[in-house]
Amino acid sequence: MSKIVMRFTGVGGQGVLLAGEIFAAAKIKAGGYGVKTATYTSQVRGGPTVVDIQLDDKEIWYPYAIDGQVDFMLSVADKSYQLFKKGVREGATIVVEPNLVSPTDEDRKKWNIVEIPIITIAKEEVGNVITQSVVALAIANTFTKALDEDLLIDTMLSKVPAKVHEVNKKAYELGKKYALEAMK
Amino acid sequence: MSTREVITSGNELAARAAVDAGCKFFAGYPLTPSSEIMHVVSDLLPTIGGAAIQMEDEIAGVAAAIGAGMSGVRSLTATSGPGISLKAENLGLAQMTEVPLVVINVMRGGPSTGLPTRVAQGDVAQAKNPSHGDYKSITVCAGTLEECYTETVRAFNLADRFMQPVFVLLDETLGHMHAKATLPSLEEVQASIVPRKTFDGAPEDYLPYGAEQDQPAVLNPMFQGYRYHYTGLHHGPDGFPTEEIETCRLLIDRLFRKVDEHKDEIESNEEYMLDDADVLLIGYGSASLAIKEAIRTLREEHGIKAGLFRPITLWPSPEDRLYELGQKFDKVLSIELNQGQYLEEVQRSMGRRDIQKLTKTNGRPFSPADIIEKVKEL
Repeated sequence: MSKIVMRFTGVGGQGVLLAGEIFAAAKIKAGGYGVKTATYTSQVRGGPTVVDIQLDDKEIWYPYAIDGQVDFMLSVADKSYQLFKKGVREGATIVVEPNLVSPTDEDRKKWNIVEIPIITIAKEEVGNVITQSVVALAIANTFTKALDEDLLIDTMLSKVPAKVHEVNKKAYELGKKYALEAMK
Repeated sequence: MSTREVITSGNELAARAAVDAGCKFFAGYPLTPSSEIMHVVSDLLPTIGGAAIQMEDEIAGVAAAIGAGMSGVRSLTATSGPGISLKAENLGLAQMTEVPLVVINVMRGGPSTGLPTRVAQGDVAQAKNPSHGDYKSITVCAGTLEECYTETVRAFNLADRFMQPVFVLLDETLGHMHAKATLPSLEEVQASIVPRKTFDGAPEDYLPYGAEQDQPAVLNPMFQGYRYHYTGLHHGPDGFPTEEIETCRLLIDRLFRKVDEHKDEIESNEEYMLDDADVLLIGYGSASLAIKEAIRTLREEHGIKAGLFRPITLWPSPEDRLYELGQKFDKVLSIELNQGQYLEEVQRSMGRRDIQKLTKTNGRPFSPADIIEKVKEL
């Protein structure tokens, strides 16, 4: 596998950090290298947050994504979308929550902007807004095909309490379903 | 020996290292970006008969940690630069009374409240002299996730060997980055523990500060029949205050010589691709991650043979090795996330004023591209 760089952006408190940790941990379990870094502001809740995930078969020294090398971005907040979109490689996919993120017409020419109502899916279809990070995880992996799905789901389940396993599995399936529909 | 693979952050590794190294007490006050250390030790210490206390403020945090160190156990506090500023007075007390203690500083942007969630290396000068008066700092600086663990373990051994506070510098990048780390086995770590020296003679013969001029005090654990006195005032071999001229001279002389004359036990460096290098880069901490990436690219894509000298022990500095390298390399670039705090030490050690610098103080990390661009200009 060549290097895959993903970026998740939102605002503090939305839980985008967890998806990054799951990706890195799953890649390492698969025998490669995974690094997650998160940048947030002193606002903590409400401030723009960015999580960079690098997955590679070679050792990774520098832990942050390099601007122009992000292969996939997912965003659930407009201010962080606007701040961090410039790191995404031209032509790459950016998945946005259309109720919260407003890409410009120029953005739509530069990148493959895909609209998936991630938060609505988590809130209304899964029934728990916290599962948005797992919906996002499923969408990211379905688009990038970065990791074996079973391994990723197992890693995800190992990081959440047993009593919420079912709801998180459901969140993953729904994220995958919406991603596949969007890819048609 | 077997190793352990873990997937975690630098802060969690430092906390686990403390527990594995035999630390039994933590006191502190949560401060971004170091708080996870407190979270983890609070989980772990009670399970092994230790204790972790969130105190009312930073000052009380270090005071309680020093108290535990005085009583004889391995003790830890952790914070970030603003917390060290508050702890400074008590850190001076620990230097003067020769109480072993590990102090982890996960550096963030300063001065003052600065940039709480962002990376910096601006506390390097502070770690050398956080408090007033004359004493010798021992400061180690992790540059990888593994070293967040191994350097914390080493810091506990250094603290007990030299009987003084030892700083472990991490930074926001290392503290919060999440990846794989390969650690030595727990057996290996436990076998490496060297507890502090104790005096076994008759209690009436015990002189805790009556050490040779190149050795630290010998402070027996409390409640074992040995009575002695702690004071921040100048003190004689028995620990009681004195202003006797020669005693005062000898005390400070000893605080310096116990470190200066045993630098070989403290110094630790990494030399990365230096053997055939034409350009010497000097950096430490998380900046070295970007430097190594830049060195790979400079060699592969630009035909520039750069190499890295990375001090792991920052204080006392590796001045002899720096001097040798300064004789060998014409082009030297010092890279740090401050305005040049270690550059001054590099200049002093090399006896040169023509060292180039690359610095950044906006809370953002260096990217490899920043370094590549600067090296190409040299």
